[in-house]
Amino acid sequence: CRTAGPAVMPTISSCKRRSPELRRRGLPVARVADAIPYCSSDWALLREEEKEKYAEMAREWRAAQGKDSGPSEKQKPVSTPLRRPGMLVPKQNVSPPDISSLSLKSDQALLGGIFYFLNIFSHGELPPHCEQRFLPCEIGCVKYSLQEGIMADFHSFINPGEIPRGFRFHCQAASDSSHKIPISNFESGHDQATVLQNLYRFIHPYPGNWPPIYCKSDDRARVNWCLKHMAKASEIRRDLELLTVEDLVVGIYQQKFLKEPSKTWVRSLLDVAMWDYSSNTRCKWHEENDILFCALAVCRKIAYCISNSLATLFGIQLTEAHVPLQDYEASNSVTPKMVVLDAGRYQKLRVESPGFSHFNYSNQEQRSNTPIGDYPSGVKISGQNSSVRGRGITRLLESISNSSSNIHKFSNCETSLSPYMSQKDGYKSFSSLS
Amino acid sequence: MSGRARVRARGIARSPSAAEVGRTPVSPSPTSVALSDNEASSSSGFVETSQISPNCKDGISSGNVGSTFMERGVTINRNFMDLDICTRGKLAHVRDCKTGSSGIPVKLVTNLFSLDLPQDWQLYQYHVTYIPDLASRRLRIALLYSHSEFSNKAKAFDGAILFLSQKLEEKITELSSETQRGETVKMTITLTRELPSSSPVCIQVFNIIFRKILKKLSMYQIGRNFYNPSEPVEIPQHKLSLWPGFAISVSQFESGLLVSADVSYKVLRDETVLEFMTALCYKTGSSCFIETCEKQLTGLIVLTRYNNKTYRIDDIDWSVRPTHTFQKRDGTEITYVDYYKQQYDITLSDLNQPMLVSLLKSKRNNNTEAQLVHLVPELCFLTGLTDQAASDFQLMKAVAEETRLGPLGRQQRLARLVDNIQRNKDARFELETWGLHFGSQMSLTGRVVPSEKILMQDHVCQPVSSADWSKDIRTCKILSAQSLNTWLILCSNRTENVTESFLNCLRKVGSAMGFNVDYPKIIKVQENPAAFLRAIQQHVHPDIQLVMCILPSNQKNYYDSIKKYLSSDCPVPSQCVLARTLNKQGMMMSIATKIAMQMTCKLGGELWAVEIPLKSLMVVGIDVCKDALSKEVVIGCVASVNPRITRWFSRCILQRTVTDVADCLKVFMTGALNKWYKYNHDLPARIIVYRDGVGDGQLKTLIEYEVPQLLNSVTEASSNTSCRLSVIVIRKKCMPRFFTEMNRTVQNPPLGTVVDSEATRPEWYDFYLISQAACRGTVNPTYYNVIYDDNGLKPDHMQRLTFKLCHLYYNWPGLVSIPAPCLYAHKMTFLVAQSIHKEPSLELANSLFYL
Repeated sequence: CRTAGPAVMPTISSCKRRSPELRRRGLPVARVADAIPYCSSDWALLREEEKEKYAEMAREWRAAQGKDSGPSEKQKPVSTPLRRPGMLVPKQNVSPPDISSLSLKSDQALLGGIFYFLNIFSHGELPPHCEQRFLPCEIGCVKYSLQEGIMADFHSFINPGEIPRGFRFHCQAASDSSHKIPISNFESGHDQATVLQNLYRFIHPYPGNWPPIYCKSDDRARVNWCLKHMAKASEIRRDLELLTVEDLVVGIYQQKFLKEPSKTWVRSLLDVAMWDYSSNTRCKWHEENDILFCALAVCRKIAYCISNSLATLFGIQLTEAHVPLQDYEASNSVTPKMVVLDAGRYQKLRVESPGFSHFNYSNQEQRSNTPIGDYPSGVKISGQNSSVRGRGITRLLESISNSSSNIHKFSNCETSLSPYMSQKDGYKSFSSLS
Repeated sequence: MSGRARVRARGIARSPSAAEVGRTPVSPSPTSVALSDNEASSSSGFVETSQISPNCKDGISSGNVGSTFMERGVTINRNFMDLDICTRGKLAHVRDCKTGSSGIPVKLVTNLFSLDLPQDWQLYQYHVTYIPDLASRRLRIALLYSHSEFSNKAKAFDGAILFLSQKLEEKITELSSETQRGETVKMTITLTRELPSSSPVCIQVFNIIFRKILKKLSMYQIGRNFYNPSEPVEIPQHKLSLWPGFAISVSQFESGLLVSADVSYKVLRDETVLEFMTALCYKTGSSCFIETCEKQLTGLIVLTRYNNKTYRIDDIDWSVRPTHTFQKRDGTEITYVDYYKQQYDITLSDLNQPMLVSLLKSKRNNNTEAQLVHLVPELCFLTGLTDQAASDFQLMKAVAEETRLGPLGRQQRLARLVDNIQRNKDARFELETWGLHFGSQMSLTGRVVPSEKILMQDHVCQPVSSADWSKDIRTCKILSAQSLNTWLILCSNRTENVTESFLNCLRKVGSAMGFNVDYPKIIKVQENPAAFLRAIQQHVHPDIQLVMCILPSNQKNYYDSIKKYLSSDCPVPSQCVLARTLNKQGMMMSIATKIAMQMTCKLGGELWAVEIPLKSLMVVGIDVCKDALSKEVVIGCVASVNPRITRWFSRCILQRTVTDVADCLKVFMTGALNKWYKYNHDLPARIIVYRDGVGDGQLKTLIEYEVPQLLNSVTEASSNTSCRLSVIVIRKKCMPRFFTEMNRTVQNPPLGTVVDSEATRPEWYDFYLISQAACRGTVNPTYYNVIYDDNGLKPDHMQRLTFKLCHLYYNWPGLVSIPAPCLYAHKMTFLVAQSIHKEPSLELANSLFYL
């Protein structure tokens, strides 16, 4: 997957610079993203110092864009202006996708491109007058590509250091309301230098260019601050480039469909509750304590969401690395995790067969025999009447397969080309997508 | 869903909660600094060092009004900011008369007392400068007050601005004094303003005067209210004591200046932090003592009785001992032990105790570093109730017995307060020098508007009591209900049987009320939130009308994850029921009835109606609250979409702003008007908006920012037809209370009592309405202020309409405290702020999915 390395790809700035030129040549370049395919072939021909020049410009440009992004650019989830596909004009305040890490010659390159999703949790946020604004306590990072899904992950607790005097309550309250990581005496916390070193080793195992790192725009300020803070503590100098997932999604989408999705759509795509309790999503500690807020889970869920909505658009067969399929597939096997009953039948049956009270007993027996997994599995369509049982099983299997296919249908239409949203009174519509 | 939330949403008399009785303000003093008579805040209450310093009140009391006026003009306290706004003048139809006439007159006693002053009374505002300039406010005050010229005058001075009730002879007076060090200081006192008694500044000064008076009655200010530590009510079995006290404020009412007084209690624990720590250490052992101690103590509010101030414990400093020294503001070093001995004559017994650390909110300039104070655990008393205590039924009952005063008890307490003020020489003197006369308790005449008939499908019923008509409608069919054919029940193995019998019950009551409930698909799941969520994900498909979850416990995780998924990711109406609720055998029928009603509404059904004479009227309710996690502002808007006012369009919008002023109203209104148009093929002729969740001092913003948004959307939608708008601000908490006198005792006034004279404000089109029943305690009237009104409805009609709307809350078969759309909006914002944390899907907007 790393063949499509950063060396052969055009930077945004070169595309931007060359757009007018391309337009003069009669190519349909309305916006930077459109210029990329035309530039990418030329890019390889550039000399090294030319590339360097463009890279520098890209850095500056990105720095300027970076300032714009952040909380201020958040849009109201209302009244997304209707735009016809042909009318797309680059909007000044929406930072174009940073696709610099992708070779965009083809879908294939895009699919193979590797992204890292990073999140760092803090014990709350201290007021502006404090020197220490955050107390990093947990880090999660995921290596991902559209093709492969999650390729590796990294998770660690961080020793937040001494809590500034007077802020114990503040930090405690912040922790209690979210990740619930103890603010002191938490033996799993590693010292910041080690964590940072491990993170670097994770995202950059071999010499060469550093990949860009993505996090949600809401978290960007915090993650950035924590990275800098930890770097200070460890005296490792390495400014990671932190970009927003929202822009990445916009970029991929644009690349594939040559249309710009709305921020609202991107946000709703990334913010879903359906994976909250999925297995193998949270870190061990958060899973065991059944706490939803986990830095690793945030990263994994980003990957799930992107897989579920974007990867499917590329026609990729989702694997367990893309979304926690195992939770759903398990139910298609012979031992579903729950019993489905038709209560109506249940009622009648109770009248017909007094032996039905066996139900509970036999079910328990079944359960005790099955290996204890995440869930003790075991379905038992009970009843003495064989004809009822047979029909029940058929129905059950039908219903399960229906529902499990529904699930994917459902989430697809929810998060990808949402017909739901577009039909709603016009104010959440993206006619550009339909 | 939780009982508490529901009761709160319903708005009927609440059982005392911890927050209510032992209200523990996070900031120890009033939010607004300006003109607060907070002596400690002004007279070097804190030994202000850059280092950590303990808090103490200075022994010197000059009996002054130490208030933080701004250098030139006076900053108006937020409470008084609204007073400047005059909305009535713009409303032509009520300029002359805003009182109604329908209904039966009823004589009411109030908790308002007249405050008389001479006709030509004026307040004189002076500006005082010192040469050479003096930094110490205390010194400034002492120098000015030492002049004979002021000794017998009524005065209020903060070191820069001086208020007098009598004019000085000269416009500019020059005085000179000598300090103790022999320095001569020249003071120049310049008249800056003459204020009539109705000016907001005057109102503020009156409030200061009354605070002084309460202090003279040996009451202490804690938070905004005054308490009397010398007459505590002890509840020894729970180690609690209650300090009785009053909330007092002076304001300009229709008939002149009135003082309103309400009874308040402070819940204190008879336990110092040191005692608590010792007990904890004994219990946990020393190994994990520090950790447990920090966990349990931080965040609690303590009261230091030596100065009667409250602090929040933010941290514990284990390295500092009372024998350590700190730097006072004048630079001298002193140990904590010596300091308390000198300042308060308190001897500390335990010299090895650690110190509590509290973070003070910076009052004057917000950007400076927060101040830390050290507090001695031995001197800190715990206040309020712990969650554990609040869930102790016996304890709460004991507290409630004391604090939930009925009308009679309240009346007696008020009478005693008045008596005390009139008997106390100092208090009387203070009033007299200002030229004020504290008068009698005011009584007025209200009106009881006629009760409403409840319209069911083929039956009109006149409920026996409009507080609760559940019995009256038991045999009637509801207006409309969608048949429930395809639905799911999720339950655990343990709750299977009870689910079974509940389902039977539900079907039975459903068919009686005209709500057809088919057999659902029952799914048995493991008892954990993940299993519930996964089962929902697997079995919910677009045909499913409703998902019911029988929750094994009231753990928030279950409810939150289910609601989040089903309101937003995959919008399907959901009904969560606690298994515990279903175990109450004898109540199964009534529980099933209530749940059936909720389910009907979630499917878009209508339960009942009242007669609304206005045709083509849309009512809108707006409420605002803060998200529990992200602190975003959650704005809930609910609008009726049929002329009968039984169907609603609900939308919740999250706003990334700091202020709780809505800036998305146009989007909502456009959506609501579109909906109305879709159903009625026309636009509503009238729109009445009820706005709840308005804080002190926000009236102006509302008028200037929210009303234009509403107007704008209305005019844009109806270019050719005229569509008239009214906006009414609702306050659930207001100072006045009303009692009826009956057989020589006082009682809560009957439901439907309207007060629109005397206790109202002259500059507003406002009225009070009592639409909720209080089973215990004293009923709290709801205050309505019409800030914009194009409709030109007669006050009578406006009041009647408001009362009618209080009948339409489908979660409670009875009257509620505020109009139904507002309560719906409140319920929705509560759900979003507590559980969903994102905008619910618009798919659900046509049903009351949040009930």
